[in-house]
Amino acid sequence: MNVSAPFRNEMLKMWKRPAAWVTLGLFTFITLADLGREFFEARKDPTDPFALPEAWVQVLGEEVMIGLIFGSVLLILLIAAEFSWRTARQNVIDGLSKTQWFTAKALLVPFVAALFLAERTLVGGALAWAGSQNAAAGSGPLMGLAQWSALGGFFVAGLGYGSLALAAATAIRSSGPAMAVWFAWFAFGERLIAGTLGWLFEGLKPALRFLPVATFSKLTDYVQYDPVAYRRAVEWASEHESGAPELYDPGVYLLVSALWILVLVAASYGWFRRHDL
Amino acid sequence: MIQPRSDPPVIETHDLSKRFGRTVAVDGASFRVERGQVFGFLGPNGAGKTTTIGLLLGIITPTSGTFRLFGGAGPAELHAARQRIGATLEYPNFYPYLSGRDNLRIAANVKGMGRRDIDEALDLVGLARRAKSKFKTYSLGMKQRLALAATMLGDPELIILDEPANGLDPKGMRETREIIRELGSRGKTIFLSSHLLWEVERTCTHVAIIQRGRIMSQSSVAEITTGTTVAGIRAADLLSLKSTVEEYPGAVWSRIRGDRVVAELKDGDLAALNSFLAARGIFASHLALEQRTLEDVFMEVTGADGGPEAGTGPGADAGPAADEQGGHRLGEIP
Repeated sequence: MNVSAPFRNEMLKMWKRPAAWVTLGLFTFITLADLGREFFEARKDPTDPFALPEAWVQVLGEEVMIGLIFGSVLLILLIAAEFSWRTARQNVIDGLSKTQWFTAKALLVPFVAALFLAERTLVGGALAWAGSQNAAAGSGPLMGLAQWSALGGFFVAGLGYGSLALAAATAIRSSGPAMAVWFAWFAFGERLIAGTLGWLFEGLKPALRFLPVATFSKLTDYVQYDPVAYRRAVEWASEHESGAPELYDPGVYLLVSALWILVLVAASYGWFRRHDL
Repeated sequence: MIQPRSDPPVIETHDLSKRFGRTVAVDGASFRVERGQVFGFLGPNGAGKTTTIGLLLGIITPTSGTFRLFGGAGPAELHAARQRIGATLEYPNFYPYLSGRDNLRIAANVKGMGRRDIDEALDLVGLARRAKSKFKTYSLGMKQRLALAATMLGDPELIILDEPANGLDPKGMRETREIIRELGSRGKTIFLSSHLLWEVERTCTHVAIIQRGRIMSQSSVAEITTGTTVAGIRAADLLSLKSTVEEYPGAVWSRIRGDRVVAELKDGDLAALNSFLAARGIFASHLALEQRTLEDVFMEVTGADGGPEAGTGPGADAGPAADEQGGHRLGEIP
């Protein structure tokens, strides 16, 4: 099965789609605003430098999640609109098989996840590198195993959220409602269901920790990948008399995430195949 | 001795059906389209034309029945056969934020065509000058022409057009008709779905009439319109003329078409009809045998009530320019 032509088409559509530039531009703005503040504050106070490799904890911090959310929004816009414009139908009429069409869309999921992660890493990394020029030399290499591991985990999380977006877009086939469902599930739907099921069936509680969003979100915690950053987080917590961050094995969550991604993509494909265009 | 090559039909359906819940959109449709035919698929809005095309193109799954494209019936054969088809369904479906050219690039990439093919297609439909404009800025006529251009990319053997005249002005309709005829003369097989009687009559070599999902009739346009003659009758009061003709035992059906009543006669005996009318105080100012039109056939096979809004009359002869008369679209199936 040849998917190079349909994937090239996806790139053309994304490149020319204003919504793609708006979401990416907005995330870049957030990155610049967030890390730019760190950069300028560090210039004022040399005792607290914004320099690599220590700055990765800020660059790859909680705001990465915003990028993954934006990526999911973009995926819904790119996929669901094909149904409302009926271009999915026309693509198949033009000669694509349904499988080729779906595969090209599914390939957008890793592409978009990588795009938003690369944006954060490159823009944030560049700012931190610039900060390193004004600070005393940091410790260790600019980017080590911890950062690569974190990026790997974030990428899998991005695939997870993207697969949820793919499922919402192919099942609902309309951008607005698909986005609403995705957000509802992400923000409170899953927790509501987990809470209800846990209350009804006490024995289910351990398994409910592995629902999709709960699993993917575990992979976006940078300190799990960086022992130095984790130690600092524990120190900070004890100084501020708050609870130490939980330490868990990302490998388990990676495995469960991979299973969820497979299930979501397979379900989306099955749904797409079964329904008329 | 060399045997003459017998090509399989380009399209062959057998008892093809599609249900949407309780609604039967296509009901046991069986028809054949041979190579080189300009095949009109005629039926009122909602008759099941688009659904039938959707079934052939693989975007709708049939509830029952089978079909073959270029002789192939299996999933792989059908997918291969669809590479030989250029089609557009219902409205022109394109990306609104892309230019006309970029929209054609999308289709061309799928069909393995290049920039030159895109330029040729844009030239053919007269959109070369607006090729860089965004699709959303196009008029409906331009959108239809872009759809036609996309359909012709890759020089397909079978071209399927679903209501290609929708939204076109009379000039655009004529140009579309000329493009279709030109393609037909190049030996392309064309499947033209339309609810416009005159469009099918003027453009197609063969026709199938579909109503409520059922194929009511299929033949060549020449055969279907020359088999029977009809009487054209003119009198001062058309309504009483029509009701009197309906009482005539030799009349199969009658209807008002423009300024006269047309009726199919069992025996073609105009003198007997004239006597019948005169005996009831109606004196015809015109009484002549006329060739049956596709509209007459349509009314006959579907049993539709022929009112003035359905009449082709002079409007049909004048073509699209005479479509709008008295608030009705003439030559359009009610």
